[in-house]
Amino acid sequence: MPSHSRFRRRVTVLAATLAVAALTAACSTTSGGGGDTSTSGGTLTVASPYPAQSLDPHGAAGTGTGTQLADQAIFSRLVRPKPDGTIAPDLATSWEANPDATSWTFTLRTDVKFSDGTALEPATVVASIERIVALKGPNASNFAGVTVKADGADKVVFTAEKPEPALLGKLTLVFVTKAGVTDDEFAKPIGSGPFTVDKFTPGQTLELVPNPTYFGGAPKLDRVVLRVIPEIATRMTALRTGEIQATWGIPDDQVGQLTGDDSVEITTVPATSVYTMWFNSGRPALESAQVRRALWQAVDFATIIKTLYPQTGELSKSVVAPSVLGYAEQPPVAYDPDAAKAALQSAGFDFGTTLQLQYSGAEYRQFIQAVAADLAKVGVKAEPTEKESAVFLQDLLALKWDVNFQSLSTPTFDAATNLGRLYTCAAKRNGYCNPELDGILQQAGTTSDAARREDLYAQASQIIWNDAVGMYPMSVKIAYAWKSNVHGLEASPSYLPDFAPVTLS
Amino acid sequence: MIDTTTDLPVLTAETTTRRRRPGWRAVPGAVIALYLAVAVVGPLLVDYDPVATSLADRLLGPGAATSAGGTALLGTDPLGRDVFAQVVYGARTSVTIAVLTVALSALIGVTVGVVAGYFGRAVDAVLSRSIDVLLAFPGIVLAIVVAGLFTRSIVVVVVALALTGWIPFARLSRSSALAVRDREWVAAARVMGVPRRTILTRHVLPFVLGPVVALATTDFGLVVLAEAGLSFLGIGLPPSTVSWGQTIATGKEYLSTAWWISAFPGLALALLVICVGLLGDQFNAYVQGNGRRGVRARKRTAKGPSDAVS
Repeated sequence: MPSHSRFRRRVTVLAATLAVAALTAACSTTSGGGGDTSTSGGTLTVASPYPAQSLDPHGAAGTGTGTQLADQAIFSRLVRPKPDGTIAPDLATSWEANPDATSWTFTLRTDVKFSDGTALEPATVVASIERIVALKGPNASNFAGVTVKADGADKVVFTAEKPEPALLGKLTLVFVTKAGVTDDEFAKPIGSGPFTVDKFTPGQTLELVPNPTYFGGAPKLDRVVLRVIPEIATRMTALRTGEIQATWGIPDDQVGQLTGDDSVEITTVPATSVYTMWFNSGRPALESAQVRRALWQAVDFATIIKTLYPQTGELSKSVVAPSVLGYAEQPPVAYDPDAAKAALQSAGFDFGTTLQLQYSGAEYRQFIQAVAADLAKVGVKAEPTEKESAVFLQDLLALKWDVNFQSLSTPTFDAATNLGRLYTCAAKRNGYCNPELDGILQQAGTTSDAARREDLYAQASQIIWNDAVGMYPMSVKIAYAWKSNVHGLEASPSYLPDFAPVTLS
Repeated sequence: MIDTTTDLPVLTAETTTRRRRPGWRAVPGAVIALYLAVAVVGPLLVDYDPVATSLADRLLGPGAATSAGGTALLGTDPLGRDVFAQVVYGARTSVTIAVLTVALSALIGVTVGVVAGYFGRAVDAVLSRSIDVLLAFPGIVLAIVVAGLFTRSIVVVVVALALTGWIPFARLSRSSALAVRDREWVAAARVMGVPRRTILTRHVLPFVLGPVVALATTDFGLVVLAEAGLSFLGIGLPPSTVSWGQTIATGKEYLSTAWWISAFPGLALALLVICVGLLGDQFNAYVQGNGRRGVRARKRTAKGPSDAVS
């Protein structure tokens, strides 16, 4: 095995050298006296915790973190989120909405070309949105009741039946592909982003080279290699030896090991993720809000977070993360096992039932086991059930669980895609149905006034929190680590760092 | 070298073996007896709840004092659970699963093998070819597939491991039965009209069982290892059952900071498997008779002088 991987690495290095040589040669012949900025270069190898199974941003994998990480390097979008949650221009230089947010007009750059030379026009953007809706992927519902039209040579107009105040956030997930693209082309897709695809093995490696025609200026790096190293200990060793130069999503115990290493820089950034443990309110045992709240009270989350996540966790104060629009602080649920036990008894909870705690991912194992241990202390039998991610997702949607654990993120920085999408009766995501909450969410989703929306989402959060639709124990920080010769890498709150501005020394 | 030493008086060789035997030969048996004792009695003496966690005591080194006032003899894991207790409870799990699996494998294997060997012809052809087909599957891969398909439990692990585990038993008992069925006493029994079932159980089976016991011992070690492997991969036993494989898997992320989590169950596992292997060798030598043992003894003395020279 070691000799094999060493061989492979040598081949990779060789291939990289050849490709770089070819690229420089190509540059010198085609660009003539053009700015020769891409020589400082170097290869940036990173290990992302989430693999890209597909590069198609519009299909079923479109909301996957691995796919988004790859796609933001390959494609452009109308607008992109900045690490602080504000929206920055990308393809669109400016945009405006009418007062009730039913019509949005985006003015596009006119100088954008795909890496194969095809021009990116307003019609191309329209085609991408149409493809998202046609493929019925997870992003399709974001554009229900929205029509898109090209207007002139540089404008795209979105018209919605109902006010669409969260449209900007939704558009950060819309990567623009060539019009009429077929599924097969995503083995090596053509985009207009800072990088182009050199090699892609689904679920394993993605090799990117700079796109010389990128409208924002070609990145300085010669090559970016995204690898997947599932084993956390191996990933840390690879970082220390310099096999990879950056990685993120590092568990606390490993962050501690790295702090002694001078050649490694560590940064933590508050994510938009909140540890979300839904109760299946459809199960008779968990029907009553009193029971659900008592279970929440029975777990000493403060201690669990302090010991297991001293650096990357913080007791959550709301259903969504603080950086999300619609965040409203809620009164903490204090740990009180005696009160919890009394409440469970008075609510007639059957202590003979075993609650399954469903989760996916070895990194959450300790947390879930600690929760199960605390529940056992008040006499509630809880069984941690780890599922393979595909099975987990299937069972999650089919409501085949008692308590479900997810680290739920809000990549659009807008509560509409979290609260508004997941907690309505129609969503059928956690067995909870409250017409009053439905009304508030409906109103919040169709109001254009930001202050009014924040207020409505605060009311919604309060109902969800007090009725304990789930437990919301922890808001997550993401730990990033990179070698000190890596410059310009910015920690992203959505596990999506941007490689375009990175340089190596 | 061997040629010269065969000239040595046989008496010397035999006396050397006899003098050596009680010393190291008893070790594997004694170690296994210790494991069995720990598996049976240990959980009664050591209190451990795999569900309970003690976060204040996480990742304590061997011999450290716990918050409850006790001592973590072999340290604690990332959830503050005692590694010593996990080693003790893991012994019970490993022994239980190995005994059940080997028993099931031997039962199926011996039945199939004796039937195939004794009846011969078409029956033998069908059974032997089926065995050949099954042999083509890598055992552990089949076990992983089966264990992965069902909800984690002891029964699933036992069945998954026995699925290919019975094949060596079948092959061994078939060849033994083949050799025995034409012996005089079997022929005599047949002529006297003794029912087939009685011939099989009374006159064939006893001669098959000797080698089967030796094989069962070796197999025991392999099953312990395979179960630990499955649990290490997270498809073996449920988290509420303590297993060495699981404890080792927990510790693999902490190898550089908390080596004790993986090291102690790993040592316990290695020692058991090695001792079971040695004991299996001893059984083999015993089963294969005195002549063979003499050869082994002579070879060992042949080694002695040459070692001294070099």
